[in-house]
Amino acid sequence: MTDVILEKVGKTYPNGYHAIPSVDLSIEEGEFIVLVGPSGCGKSTLLRMVAGLESISTGELRIRGERMNEKEPADRDIAMVFQNYALYPHMTVYDNMAYGLKNRGMAKDLIAEKVSDVAAMLGLTELLQRKPRQLSGGQRQRVAMGRAMVRDPKVFLFDEPLSNLDAKLRVQMRVEIRQLQRKLGTTTLYVTHDQVEAMTLADRLVVLNKGKAEQIGTPMDLYNKPATPFVAAFIGSPSMNLLDAHLTEQGITVSDELTLPLSHPHRGAIVWGIRPEHLDVSDEHNADFALRIQAVESLGAETLIHGKVETTSGQGDAMVVRLSGPHLPDINSLMWLKAPAQYWHLFDAVTQQRL
Amino acid sequence: MIENRPWLTFVSHATLLTGIALVALPVWMALVASTHPASAFGVGHIPLWFGDAGAETWGAVLFDKAGNGVDVPVWFMMLNSLIMALGITFGKIAISLLSAYAIVFFRFPFRNLCFWIIFMTLMLPVEVRIVPTYEVVANLDLLNSYTGLTLPLIASATATFLFRQCFLSIPGELVEAARMDGAGPWRFFFDILLPLSRTNIAALFVILFIYGWNQYLWPLLITTDDAYYTLVMSIKRMLSVTDGDIAWNQIMATTLLAMLPPVAVVIGMQKLFVKGLVDSEK
Ligand SMILES: Nc1ncnc2c1ncn2[C@@H]1O[C@H](COP(=O)(O)OP(=O)(O)O)[C@@H](O)[C@H]1O
Ligand SMILES: [Mg+2]
Repeated sequence: MTDVILEKVGKTYPNGYHAIPSVDLSIEEGEFIVLVGPSGCGKSTLLRMVAGLESISTGELRIRGERMNEKEPADRDIAMVFQNYALYPHMTVYDNMAYGLKNRGMAKDLIAEKVSDVAAMLGLTELLQRKPRQLSGGQRQRVAMGRAMVRDPKVFLFDEPLSNLDAKLRVQMRVEIRQLQRKLGTTTLYVTHDQVEAMTLADRLVVLNKGKAEQIGTPMDLYNKPATPFVAAFIGSPSMNLLDAHLTEQGITVSDELTLPLSHPHRGAIVWGIRPEHLDVSDEHNADFALRIQAVESLGAETLIHGKVETTSGQGDAMVVRLSGPHLPDINSLMWLKAPAQYWHLFDAVTQQRL
Repeated sequence: MIENRPWLTFVSHATLLTGIALVALPVWMALVASTHPASAFGVGHIPLWFGDAGAETWGAVLFDKAGNGVDVPVWFMMLNSLIMALGITFGKIAISLLSAYAIVFFRFPFRNLCFWIIFMTLMLPVEVRIVPTYEVVANLDLLNSYTGLTLPLIASATATFLFRQCFLSIPGELVEAARMDGAGPWRFFFDILLPLSRTNIAALFVILFIYGWNQYLWPLLITTDDAYYTLVMSIKRMLSVTDGDIAWNQIMATTLLAMLPPVAVVIGMQKLFVKGLVDSEK
C-alpha cells in the first residue's frame, strides 16, 4: 500500500528563493526512504514540508490517501527527530516522551504504559527521571527517538539525527535505527548528507541536487546505474572517476589522446566514469592506460592511489584507484591499469543523462 | 586569570573592606541612632554605639501612628508599599511576558513597529510623563487607590526587551518540536516558555520589586488619603515638622524597616537572580 505521496511538491521561500522546483515521490508502507544530497540542496526543506513545519508552495502531499497540505503538524500523524534533539530542557525524560500524548488527552496510565514500553525498548528505563542535560549525546538521541516512537505515528521523519554524535556512536545508532524501524515497520523519511549512512539505511534513496531529485532507487541501483554524473560522484567513496571525454567511431577519447575502443551510436562530448574499485592493475601490454602516481593512502585493508593519466602533454586527468590490501608503489612511478568495459558509465555531457 | 601575589591579595582585600565599610557605615549609624532618645541628636554629636532607648523607639515605630500628619502606623504603610511593589512587579512581568511572546512568536502586521514603539517608551519613564499621567488617572477616578498606585507604572519596555531576548534564544527546533507534539499557543506558553524563562523572571522580580518598593514621586502625587500612604514617601513627610524636634530615632528605625523587604527579596532570591543574569538552561 502506498503510504506517502508527494506530487509535484515545490517550495518557494517568502524571500523568493526557489528551494525546490518539483519533486515526485511515492513511498510504500514500511519503507525506509533516505533523502541525501550535499548541504543546502533542500533536503530539510522537503522533510519540513512533509512535517508541516514549512508550507507547501505547489503540489500536493498525501498520507494514506488524505491530503495533508493544510493540516497542522500535530494532525498529520507523524513524528520527527531533530538534528539537535530538541528535547525540552526543563522536563524529565519521562515528561519529554509523555508530552505529546498528554496534549492529545490520553489517559495517564495508558501514557505511563506506553512510555515505559518504549523506554524499555531503547534502554532508557533507568534514565526516565533525569533531565536532558544529565544525559550523554547518545542518550539524548535515544530520548528524541523515544519521543517519536511513543506517538506510534504513521511516518517517522529524521533530519540528520546522527550528525552530532561521534563516529563510533554514529555507526552504532545507525544500525539501531535500522533495526528499530524494521521491527516497528513504520514508514520512514530520513535526511542525511552522509552517503555511507544513506546507503546503509535506505530501502530507497532520493538523491537531491539543488532541489531536484536526480535519481530515486535502491542503493544498488544507484551504485550500479547512476542516472547522472552528480549521482555517480555522490554515491560511493572514494567517488567515481569522472573524466571529460569524446565519443567517436574509434571509441572514447580520454585526456585528449587516449582512446578506449567502443562502438556506440552516440557522438560528441561525454563524461566517462569508472569507480576506483573497478580499475585493475595490469602490465604494459594489456593495460588500457598508465597512471603517474602522485599520492598513496594506505588504510591497511585497502590502498587508495591518486595519480594522473600519463599523456605526452603531461596534462592528463586525475584519477583514484582503490586496491585491496596494502600496496606501497613509489610516488612518480607509473602504474599500468585496465578499465573493464562492463564497469564504464557514460553520460551525455550536455544533458547529463546516462547513455 | 589566577594571580598569586601577596601584596595584590592585600590590596584587593583592603579595597573590598573599605567598600563594605563605606556602604555599611550609614546603615550602622541608622541602627545605632534608633536606640537613642530623640533628644540625643540636638546636641550636635552623632552617637556611634547603642543607646538604651531601643525598645521604646521600635515599639513606638511599629505600633503607634507615625505622626506628623501621617495618621497610620508604619506597619500599615509597609503593607501599602508591599501591595504597590508586588502589584507593579507582577503586573510588569505579566504584561512584558505577553508582549514579548506576541512579538517573538506571532506574525502579525506591524510587528516590528509595535516592538519599536514599546522600545521607545524607555524614553518616557513616569517622571517625564507625570502631568499627563496624573490627568488620566484623575479622570479615571483612580486617585487614592491601589490601581492608581500600580497601573501607570506597569508598562515596561525594559522587561519586554529582556524577555524578547530570552525568547529569541530559544532554539527554533524546540518550538517546532512542541508544535509537532500538539502544543497550541497557550500550552506552549505555559508548558515550555514559562519554565524556560524561570530564572529570567526571578531576576526581573528582584529588580522590579526594588523599583516598585522605592517609588517616591508617583505615590506622593496621587495619594492624599492616609490609607494609601506608602512607606518610602512617608519618611519625607515624617521629616517635615513645623513644631518641635524631628524624631530622628524613629525616622531611622522607619528607614531601616523600609530597607528590610528589598534586602529580604535580594537575599531570598539571590541564587536564582545570579543564575538568571549569567546563564540560561537552554
Ligand atoms: N526560511 C528560508 N528562507 C529562505 N531560504 C531558505 C530558508 N530555509 C532554507 N533556505 C534555503 O533553501 C536551501 C535549502 O535549504 P535546506 O533545505 O535547509 O538544505 P539542506 O539540504 O542542507 O537541509 C538553502 O539554499 C537555504 O539557504
Ligand atoms: Mg538540513
